[in-house]
Amino acid sequence: MNAVVNKGQAEAAGQNRQVLTFCLGAETYGVDILRVQELRGWAPVTRIPKSPPHVLGVLNLRGSIVPIVDMRLRFALERAEFTPLTVIIVMSVETPDGRREYGLVVDSVSEVVDIAAGDLKPAPDLGSRLGADALQGLATVQDRMVILLNVDKLLAGEGGLETVAATAAA
Amino acid sequence: MSIDLDQFHDAFFEESYEALETMEASLLKLNVGAPDIDLINTIFRVAHSIKGGAGMFGFNEVASFTHTLETMLDELRSSKLNVTMHICDLMLKSVDVMRGMLRAVQHKTPIDAQSVADLQFDLELVVAQKGAAAAPAPAPAAPLAAVVVAAPVAGAEAPAGWLISVQPLASMLIHGNDPMRIFADLAELGELRCKLRDAPVPGLDALDPECCYLKWDLELHGQCERSAIDAVFDWVQGDCEWQIDPIGGPARTAIAPAAQPAAAVAAPAAATPVPAAAAPATPAAAPPPAPVVAAAKPAGEGAKPGADASSIRVAIEKIDELMNFVGEVVITQSMLAQLSTRVHGETADRLRTGLAQLERNVRELQESVMRVRMLPISSVFSRFPRLTRDLSQRLGKHIELKMTGEHTELDKTVLERIGDPLVHLVRNCIDHGIEMPEVRAASGKPEAGTVHLNAYHKGGSIIIEVMDDGKGLDRARILEKARAKGLVGQSDVLSDEAINDLIFLPGFSTAEQTTDLSGRGVGMDVVRRNIKQLGGNVELRSELGKGTRFTIALPLTLAIVDGQSVAVGTETYIVPLVTIVESLQVKAGAARTLVNRGEVFPFRGDYLPIIRMHEIFDIQPRTGELHEGLVMVVEGDGRKVGLFVDDLLGQQQVVIKSMETNYGRIDGVSGATILGEGTVALILDIPGLIRVAAERLAERNAA
Repeated sequence: MNAVVNKGQAEAAGQNRQVLTFCLGAETYGVDILRVQELRGWAPVTRIPKSPPHVLGVLNLRGSIVPIVDMRLRFALERAEFTPLTVIIVMSVETPDGRREYGLVVDSVSEVVDIAAGDLKPAPDLGSRLGADALQGLATVQDRMVILLNVDKLLAGEGGLETVAATAAA
Repeated sequence: MSIDLDQFHDAFFEESYEALETMEASLLKLNVGAPDIDLINTIFRVAHSIKGGAGMFGFNEVASFTHTLETMLDELRSSKLNVTMHICDLMLKSVDVMRGMLRAVQHKTPIDAQSVADLQFDLELVVAQKGAAAAPAPAPAAPLAAVVVAAPVAGAEAPAGWLISVQPLASMLIHGNDPMRIFADLAELGELRCKLRDAPVPGLDALDPECCYLKWDLELHGQCERSAIDAVFDWVQGDCEWQIDPIGGPARTAIAPAAQPAAAVAAPAAATPVPAAAAPATPAAAPPPAPVVAAAKPAGEGAKPGADASSIRVAIEKIDELMNFVGEVVITQSMLAQLSTRVHGETADRLRTGLAQLERNVRELQESVMRVRMLPISSVFSRFPRLTRDLSQRLGKHIELKMTGEHTELDKTVLERIGDPLVHLVRNCIDHGIEMPEVRAASGKPEAGTVHLNAYHKGGSIIIEVMDDGKGLDRARILEKARAKGLVGQSDVLSDEAINDLIFLPGFSTAEQTTDLSGRGVGMDVVRRNIKQLGGNVELRSELGKGTRFTIALPLTLAIVDGQSVAVGTETYIVPLVTIVESLQVKAGAARTLVNRGEVFPFRGDYLPIIRMHEIFDIQPRTGELHEGLVMVVEGDGRKVGLFVDDLLGQQQVVIKSMETNYGRIDGVSGATILGEGTVALILDIPGLIRVAAERLAERNAA
């Protein structure tokens, strides 16, 4: 919701927004740079029992335990080998339970680009399982299409990180 | 102004509650007839600081009530009034009333005005009945002419002294402050001469009796510290302008007037016995040449509680953050140590020596940070004198409360959660344990029963004992009752310990009649459950006619757990050591299946179910054969099971991290920790795991 407000504000003010772009297979995605905490190389994670398949596990990030999400699996792309280029983007995400930190595993990080508010086009509804909410819009940068993601909706909403087993047994 | 002060309200409330606790403790120590003047001074100081703070924040009901109390205390202090049982009771009630008022103000609920007014009237009555001239509240216009308050020691004039000009703001009296009090406090520092400054006082028709129009010039002779004077004026921050100059010295130090934000920032410091807000506040209020204002020194009289003066209040999150960073340093250090083994050459030895030293320092750092979270148990014990007093009065029993080991330290989070179970146990001792005085006398015991609270460290735990010399548990009756309730079979033979254990069952009470204190059957089971939740244990020993002793063992902290690392497949999990009964290798073929579903194995004459970790958590195990791995007998919620794992790795203390901060709850997992090399390992929640396994089995059986 914040992002929507920001978008509105950005449009009103005609401001550019800075977006970090990354690659998944042949596609280029972008996330709001202000949400990016840090980038780090791939390191083996600790698996969490009964987590959804796209949650690879958790990592230690300076003393806090951060869940790591494989974006390929989240978008139902085929699984890729982890290479030296594989990057974890650590992002802060607003969830109904407050601010949380997540790590997103992507094939590689490309660059930071400015996207003018007017250049953002709505994403056509292709019946995607992601839900239109998670896609903020499409922009063209140097002849490439960048898919702008709303991480709050993507990670906190349906199909996010709720564990299958997390039923309140107590 | 109130907007500026809002952020300090919490500090004020917290400190006022603490102050009330101090007051209560002092009141309980106060001897009727021969009161200790230091104690009265302490009580007075507490009342005064609450009054000052309340006035400052505009909590006028609190200020007004406290003022009345203070007036009476002043009479006590000057021995014009004797400490009687009645007065003690009134003051204890005042503590309750003030606490109630503060709570009401804090939560913005209406104050119980009737009880406040009643008590206020009682207090005023006590003062009035003394018959002396002192009016309940000093009239604001009292200091009409020059007032000379001579210090008791009128010796030779000291060479040094101070010139103080006092200009109270009109609001001073409204906020519950009184210039007279300043003079009285200053007079204790040396010889004080007061001169009323010529100032225009409005005519009678324009005069507001609640405003202060007068200003004074004071000369304080005697060798006293500037900080002591500052401390006196701390109470009137925001209500008064003043200026302090040394006699004969040109240095003029002005204090900012009240309306300026700087003074507003300093305000809470004045109200606090603990200088929490003082650190950022003092520089704003006092210019550099002035000595640091000792906000912790209330009114500069009598003995000061030393512990308070040198403590600070820190948010727990800051300490947790510090812990995280220290943890990171530990990991980095071990990474460097590993790397250093691959370094060769001249400097390599020096590098390794340096790293070894770093390791020691880091360990010590880690321990120190842990210790910061520790608080003495006295903060929990301190509520018992009052409880004992009230209960013994109500029940007509003579009870002596003995407390030892109050300085034993434990983690704040444990401390907060052990209070209620302890209250319950002490109540039980007083209500059920200790007999009436006649009964005690008849059985040859001293009429006064003793309840003894004791605390000490033992290994990594704290042991808290609650003992009484009362009638002890009547095991025959307990057994009878348990049989009647069907908790125990008619022909079952139980050991003494097993019978003792019965009182921890839900719904069990042997009291002939339930009182409003205890005996309603809700209780001991809750006590045990609460203690178990903290990872502790409670045991009971009792001898009929001699007394009962509850022994509670608790972990020192909830932030750390002693863990056993186990390997399952390629993964590592931590099992809390307290849950482990034994680890053993089950011989091939010793395990049996039960109705072709669950697995059991023999253990000390029982058959325990086996939980295969790799099945619960869907891990590819190294082996599926029981005799090739290890079975760990663990206990949770009173049930024992065998946990099948591949291997045991090692024991270590681990720092518990929440999984819920960034992820969510996982059944069977209580948290996570970071291992030495920086990887994350999950900590098992054994009771949860047993539940998960049971559900799984039920599902399988249903299928």
